[in-house]
Amino acid sequence: MAIADKDFELIRDFIYNICGMFFHTTKKYFLESRLARRMDATGVKTHLEYFQLLKSLRGSEELKFLMDEITTNETYFFRNVPQLNALENKLLPEIVEIKNKMGFRKLRIWSAASSSGEEAYTMAMILLEKRATLLKDWIIEIVGTDINETVVAQAKEGIYNAYSVRNIPDAYKRKYIKEDNGKFILSPDVKKFVTFNKLNLYDDNKMIFMKTFDIIFCANVLIYFDTASKSKVVQHFYNNLQPYGYFFVGQSESLHGVNDKFKTVHFPGGFTYKK
Amino acid sequence: MDKNSMMDKARQLVENMDDLPTIPVVATQVLQLIEQPDVRIEDVADLMLTDQVMTARVMKMINSPVYKPEHEITSLKRALVYLGLRHIREVALTTSFINAFDEDKGAMELSAFWEHSFGVGMVSRIMAKKIGYQDLEKAYIAGIIHDLGEVFLSNFMREEFQAVLDSIKGKPIKLVDAEAQQLGTTHCEIGLCMAHKWNFPEAYCEVIAQHHTPSDATIDPILCAIVNLSDLFCSVRELNYGGREWVSFNLVEEEAWQILKNESPKLAEMDVERFCYDLDDAIPDVKELVSSIFTAKE
Repeated sequence: MAIADKDFELIRDFIYNICGMFFHTTKKYFLESRLARRMDATGVKTHLEYFQLLKSLRGSEELKFLMDEITTNETYFFRNVPQLNALENKLLPEIVEIKNKMGFRKLRIWSAASSSGEEAYTMAMILLEKRATLLKDWIIEIVGTDINETVVAQAKEGIYNAYSVRNIPDAYKRKYIKEDNGKFILSPDVKKFVTFNKLNLYDDNKMIFMKTFDIIFCANVLIYFDTASKSKVVQHFYNNLQPYGYFFVGQSESLHGVNDKFKTVHFPGGFTYKK
Repeated sequence: MDKNSMMDKARQLVENMDDLPTIPVVATQVLQLIEQPDVRIEDVADLMLTDQVMTARVMKMINSPVYKPEHEITSLKRALVYLGLRHIREVALTTSFINAFDEDKGAMELSAFWEHSFGVGMVSRIMAKKIGYQDLEKAYIAGIIHDLGEVFLSNFMREEFQAVLDSIKGKPIKLVDAEAQQLGTTHCEIGLCMAHKWNFPEAYCEVIAQHHTPSDATIDPILCAIVNLSDLFCSVRELNYGGREWVSFNLVEEEAWQILKNESPKLAEMDVERFCYDLDDAIPDVKELVSSIFTAKE
């Protein structure tokens, strides 16, 4: 059933207000098809009725099912190009300048929901390219963490399929990826900069030890948390950053109303949060 | 580079340009007519109707979702009533300006220029509403015309301007700074000279001159701040002249944000993230408006 514009707006606003994730109008048909599955499963006939179900007492449970339908766990290298441009153009040179002044030549980056490692390794490739210039003689530490041990093991292994590597620019691919029978194997030169561990973002005792990062990424995870948990986790990220550090969320996410200490820094095609 | 020498350079460039387009006859007559003390809107409408292209463009500008009239406006007279006599001058000037520069012969693509311009107009109107600025139409028009000087640079200094654009491609350098450094003047000073030549009202001249430096404004700093901020937002979403400039800004450090927050403290609570996402969603409307304005003459 085609979704009416006003129902689309109701449901999109609801998802945005509860999860902090925005559905652009260009993704209306995607949302429509996923809603159809949930409407079938719940026996609800109209979009408006489904919206009322989401708002009802058992709405939070249904919202979890809906979120599973509308988000995908898949990830790939060089996923968020505007973000990477912002890092290269502005954020990295800015952080390097500050740390050079302090004589502290070490860069620490955390991929806080690292899944199979694509985001962390993308950063490693980009920083490796700067070893001769901006980051000459710098120590680079990239940490990837995820709650799921299986994906942590995959990340450590560093072997990918064609889908994962499809966005890697050719120059990087030639240097850092070796193809073997349809498998794409990451170069040890990239792997050595990154460590992966299991971590639950709810685990306060472990979170307080994730210290002194310059940049933290946490894409497409906070959308599953309720507001109180989101605030708590984001406050950890805030504390774990250097005073000049940056925090990135996913491409259609928003931290509005979650933490009022971070400042938004805008760049073409996105924004980031500055401590 | 000091402001005076940039102004001198701009004046010299604009004065020495022989084939600078002039205001169309009908627009000149409209401007004269609305100066009359007992002018009636019917008379203005009758006069404007003699220029079909201008009429069509006014109607497109007013009826687009970008401008958001409450009801569809079907006659020119209604459009003029809706705008009010006080805005007819600017609308006549703006549509004349579109007429004067509707051929793609410059260094930048004209559709990209107008998409940015109407985008900034749309966002300026929304921002104006948010802070309780009294004249939403003024904000809309000021947004549309703020980058007027860019057209001059693109059309009449094509090669020099292309060199400036090439020099900043993909780099975090502001176009206005690169212009000052490489051309000895910027689109702000050049736009101001053109706006004076075309007799744009003073408040609009100030927006053209100070939209990158709103705290230097004296006539209407709020309006300059509105356009400045709208320009920034459009520059980081997809109304950025096809990405010719890599702009980045920390909102709380922007002087325009401070000016507007002083005017309306509740602005501090604005959901800036949502604002950006909604802006993304409105981009097809802006593109549609620009393309309809340029097919209006066919």
